Amino acid sequence: MKILVFIIFILIIIFFSIPFLWLYLSAFDKEASAFIKLPNFTLSNFIEAFKEYNFTRYLINSSFVATITMLLTVLIVAISAYSISRIKWRYKNSLLYSLLLLHSIPLSTTMVPIYGIMRTLHLRNSYLGLILVYTAMQLPFLIWLMKGFFDTIPEELEEASWIDGCTSLKALFKVILPISLPGILVVSALSFLGAWGESMLILILVDSEKMKTVPLVFYEAIRTVGGYMEVRYELVSSFAILFQIPVVILFILSRKLLATSIVPGVER
Amino acid sequence: MKRNQFLILGLLPAIFLMTFLFVLPSLWGIYSSFTNMALLGKEAANFRFLGFENYIKLFKDSAFYTSFFNTIYFVIGSALIGQFLLGLIIALLIDYAERRKIPGRGIVYGIVLLAWINPTLIAGFQWSAMYDYYYGTLNTFLKFLGLPKINWLGSIPMLSVIVANIWRGTAFTMLIWLSALKTIPVELYEAGKIDGANAFNRFRYITVPMLRDIITVNLIQITMATMGAFLLIWAITSGGPGLKTTTLSLFAYRTAFESYRLGYGSAIAVIMLLINLFFGIIYIRLFRRR
Repeated sequence: MKILVFIIFILIIIFFSIPFLWLYLSAFDKEASAFIKLPNFTLSNFIEAFKEYNFTRYLINSSFVATITMLLTVLIVAISAYSISRIKWRYKNSLLYSLLLLHSIPLSTTMVPIYGIMRTLHLRNSYLGLILVYTAMQLPFLIWLMKGFFDTIPEELEEASWIDGCTSLKALFKVILPISLPGILVVSALSFLGAWGESMLILILVDSEKMKTVPLVFYEAIRTVGGYMEVRYELVSSFAILFQIPVVILFILSRKLLATSIVPGVER
Repeated sequence: MKRNQFLILGLLPAIFLMTFLFVLPSLWGIYSSFTNMALLGKEAANFRFLGFENYIKLFKDSAFYTSFFNTIYFVIGSALIGQFLLGLIIALLIDYAERRKIPGRGIVYGIVLLAWINPTLIAGFQWSAMYDYYYGTLNTFLKFLGLPKINWLGSIPMLSVIVANIWRGTAFTMLIWLSALKTIPVELYEAGKIDGANAFNRFRYITVPMLRDIITVNLIQITMATMGAFLLIWAITSGGPGLKTTTLSLFAYRTAFESYRLGYGSAIAVIMLLINLFFGIIYIRLFRRR
């Protein structure tokens, strides 16, 4: 039985790892094709990505949008999740469940109307538009997550600080937020990742060269499939790695924290 | 009282932004679905109200039914059968391996998780290379075994995107099951063993009833997420060949952004929204009961 389980493990590992092996080997091979093979190690694909494809610009765009989104999201999530956690209101539960409902509806459902709204408001091809959309899209889940953190902090703590003369706002920043730092870090990591990796709305929100982000450029590079050009597997693989690295690093860093707060609905 | 006012004030920025991204588009979608709104062409210059015309046309459109049934196949194949069963099996195996100290469980956990956190577009790129007819890894392997090549994206496109989506999304179910399995007291299994129940019966009569609600919530979550899947299919097949892998979200996208018919695309979006709301409300109901 033990051996059977071990054999199944090996089959699972083969199934899940071959696409990654292919990707990582191809990125370091000048002559990579769709077939998995050992490379003549080279960094020339990465050099080409930066020299010929202006990748620096796309990395800066992506990092900028993701960082501002993260800051804005953390601020809004901290204040509103705290409010929901502490508020005494008849409709509090309805509010919470409507957050869950908003989170469960896939964005592809409202993609066409989102395009219409953003076009009407002239927010396409702008940092502001991207940041607003990326912040808003993550709020339902992250508020839900953060509220869970705040619920574990006893209200007596704030009450004590009021007696010392703190206002509600001051108590939030001086007493509550420092204790809930793990939660804040998880929200920061997830909101950064959400904005960094978002690759669907970017297709309809940006088409100007100077606003392009990493996912959009990656998308354009793979769309030559079935088109007039052969897809350049070696080059696109190096794009993929530049796109993927921050995701993997941040995920590993936040995994320990996340494991303590696993909540239904992490699917993206 | 003053404190409650402060708290309500704190909710306003979030409510404002969520209205902007979720409520406003829904209203705009409903509005434009009753019009001939278009991005290009002569319709774009002649904006007018159509009433229910778009919806009537939609329910006569064979492409709509094709995409609707493709969505159902895709959900059943990749979420309900694939991700759910495979995620369950992997979770049970890891759980078993942890108690028997079988090596490899950490690698299995890590690699399944990596496929999930990997950006979906990259997954699409990886799998379109795997499925490549001439040079792809899969066909090269078949040739090595002396078997004939398979035209993965030509003759069995739906199955191919389903497999890619199972690869991408199994981790979510695995995570849910792994943490849920830990909530069952070990004593229950030991009691079952003493009563002579075999492994399957212990699963059937102890695990399943204990986790019934979690299972249902998980099933609805993956159903909704899979119904809305867009990027993976779009990156691998673009919905083709023909309409063979066009699900509703791809159908809406192609109508709006390739045929430039925003109004008609919005009508499709509204139908999708209704289907999602239906599942969403069931989901909330179940969640509430817990």
